[in-house]
Amino acid sequence: MSVICEMAAPFVANSAVEGTPVARPFRAHAEGCLKCQARHVAMTKTARELASMSNETLPAPMDLEWRVMSSLEGELALARSWRTPVAVTAAVLSMAAAVVIWRLRPRTQS
Amino acid sequence: MDVPQVERDKERELISRAQSGDRAAFAALVREHGNEVYTLARRLVGDPHMAADVAQETLIRAWKALPNFRGDAALSTWLHRITVNTAWTQKRRARRHSGLSLDEFTDVAAPMGADHPEMAGEILELRGRLRQALDALPEAQRQVVVLKDVYDWSHAEIADAMGISVSAAKVRLHRARARLARSLEASA
Repeated sequence: MSVICEMAAPFVANSAVEGTPVARPFRAHAEGCLKCQARHVAMTKTARELASMSNETLPAPMDLEWRVMSSLEGELALARSWRTPVAVTAAVLSMAAAVVIWRLRPRTQS
Repeated sequence: MDVPQVERDKERELISRAQSGDRAAFAALVREHGNEVYTLARRLVGDPHMAADVAQETLIRAWKALPNFRGDAALSTWLHRITVNTAWTQKRRARRHSGLSLDEFTDVAAPMGADHPEMAGEILELRGRLRQALDALPEAQRQVVVLKDVYDWSHAEIADAMGISVSAAKVRLHRARARLARSLEASA
């Protein structure tokens, strides 16, 4: 295999996938080289196969929907579980503040 | 009204309901697009378990971002973008923890042409080698090949999704195709 075939390889592959001529510096070589032509043919088939893979759908795991929905439920429950203690703490703190303010209020001497 | 239009209307309605917080509507969208999201994830990351995690994470992100979905692109296109970003993030995270093995695809659907016995063997054989060659590509190269040559994204879309320049995306694709060709040649 010649060095020039190796240098031309990416251009031959691109040409096969894009359906365009091989880039100019390697065009003359590729047109006269059996090895490069064989590569071009092989890569054209490959490109066709790659494109046809877009019509293929692999089955997702059976529990994907369950995993997604239960994660969302979990996040919601977590948010709820945070909300309650935060609300209770806020209520306790405001009551404590009210007591402190009440205790520290200036008193008039009778 | 043709069937795709009916389906589009139905999907639009589901999206709108899900955007208002209807989880049942979102579950229906997950059922509709789950396989598609998983397929792309599988092609991008290779490993089936990681692909399932990517699909799950993608759909959770989609739920969170759904209020911002304006419907300029199809839902599937929008989901594809989130899948690419999620796959990228998960791979980076995984790489930090350990080296990963890339399993082969084993449960793929029958390829087109498989019902023609004279072609089926050749196509199946090529497809098997192609999957192995794709899996063997360095991750960044595999992603550009999958997005460009399988999903027909533009260079600009790939660059945008992967956070690289358009010329970097082109160079990566150029190298990836050459590597793929060599790898297929070696396995022939």
